[in-house]
Amino acid sequence: MPSLLPAVAEQLFRDIQKTYQETSQIPDDLLIALKFVFGPCALQALDLVDQRSVTCLSSPSGRKAFQVMGGSGRLYSCFVSCHYCPCPAFAYTVLRRNEGLLCKHILAAYLCQALGVTEEESVSDQQMSMLLSGTAAP
Amino acid sequence: MTDILTLVFKTFKSQTDLKMDLTVSPPPPTTCGALVVGDHSVSRSVLLLAAVTAASQMGMRVMFFTQTQIQSLPASLQKCFSYPRTVEELLLQIASLHESTNTSPTPPSLIIVDRLESFLSDSTGGSHSGFHPGEQSCAAHLSALLCDTAAFLTQVLEQRSSISGPCRVIASFQSEVDPGQAGGEPSATDPILDILDRYFQVRCTLDQDRGYEAAAAGLQQLWHIYLSGRGITEASSLTFSWPCFPVLLTATLARGSRRTAIQKDSRQLVREDYSLPHRYPYVP
Repeated sequence: MPSLLPAVAEQLFRDIQKTYQETSQIPDDLLIALKFVFGPCALQALDLVDQRSVTCLSSPSGRKAFQVMGGSGRLYSCFVSCHYCPCPAFAYTVLRRNEGLLCKHILAAYLCQALGVTEEESVSDQQMSMLLSGTAAP
Repeated sequence: MTDILTLVFKTFKSQTDLKMDLTVSPPPPTTCGALVVGDHSVSRSVLLLAAVTAASQMGMRVMFFTQTQIQSLPASLQKCFSYPRTVEELLLQIASLHESTNTSPTPPSLIIVDRLESFLSDSTGGSHSGFHPGEQSCAAHLSALLCDTAAFLTQVLEQRSSISGPCRVIASFQSEVDPGQAGGEPSATDPILDILDRYFQVRCTLDQDRGYEAAAAGLQQLWHIYLSGRGITEASSLTFSWPCFPVLLTATLARGSRRTAIQKDSRQLVREDYSLPHRYPYVP
């Protein structure tokens, strides 16, 4: 996912990726930094990462999208090139209040990419179109 | 996006306005889209001109989404126009642009959406009073889908070594916050406009000059064009009289009276039935 985040967040993901590749762990100082930059949704996103909740869907056309299973079991489709999530937290905290950079689902997608733990799944082009448009569940 | 808009303004600017110095440069591949803000009767004409200019002068494949049926179009452009009735249909049609039926033989290089507000108001049942968080989220979804689709189609165009890339997005929006204020800039506090600005990197504001000087100068229709946003290096303000001659578009709208705002002031410069300028052969 090309980053659309402030430089500090981009650097943080790079540090997490590098450290995790070397030690298979995320040290405390980076976890604290994650909490500092992203607020309370950082911990919730890490839970989603632990549960391997992020899947990268791809279709024969080459189109890709992230699908994140929320805590309630609901699936949220997120775009790979810009920030949008149909969850209520994104609508309220990010869009309406402008108080957060991301919701936990998009942050989980970033973290899974950095850690290399994103699940992969193929769907048809038509399924991808319906997922992207929000008109159907997979 | 802005390169096409700039070409449109350059092509149709007043021949008496010699001060304007516009340059047309291709957009960087990372840019996303341009949002045309202003009276919809004028912004629609700008979008139509952008479509015709991109197809005829730049050889692009264009996809034009609008709710308002255009009855008369050149045959080569008819297949470029799509008329989704609801925002759900619009979302699905844009989301389907990656499918092989839409990318063969050439994927679109320009996606245009006319009157975003008409689609978004449908998402709230047509009511415009009060705050609608669903409308904000729908605006974000539609904008993000347009950006993501353009990013994907840009990749496809690059893989095919197409000279038409990157894929651009142009949409028009008229703020509901300042209804009837054609001469005023839409309020910065419009919650929907705030959302759209997150995704569209360039805002092109069309602002009619109703001042005494413009009337005294004999300019039939003076529009200020403001290009702003993080997609351009510095804000620029362009002023020109537009349209400068009977602008042509063969755009007999199914719902008439959309050009009344222009016609009232423009000494019939824009006619009820447009016709195309001779220099546009409509050969993409």
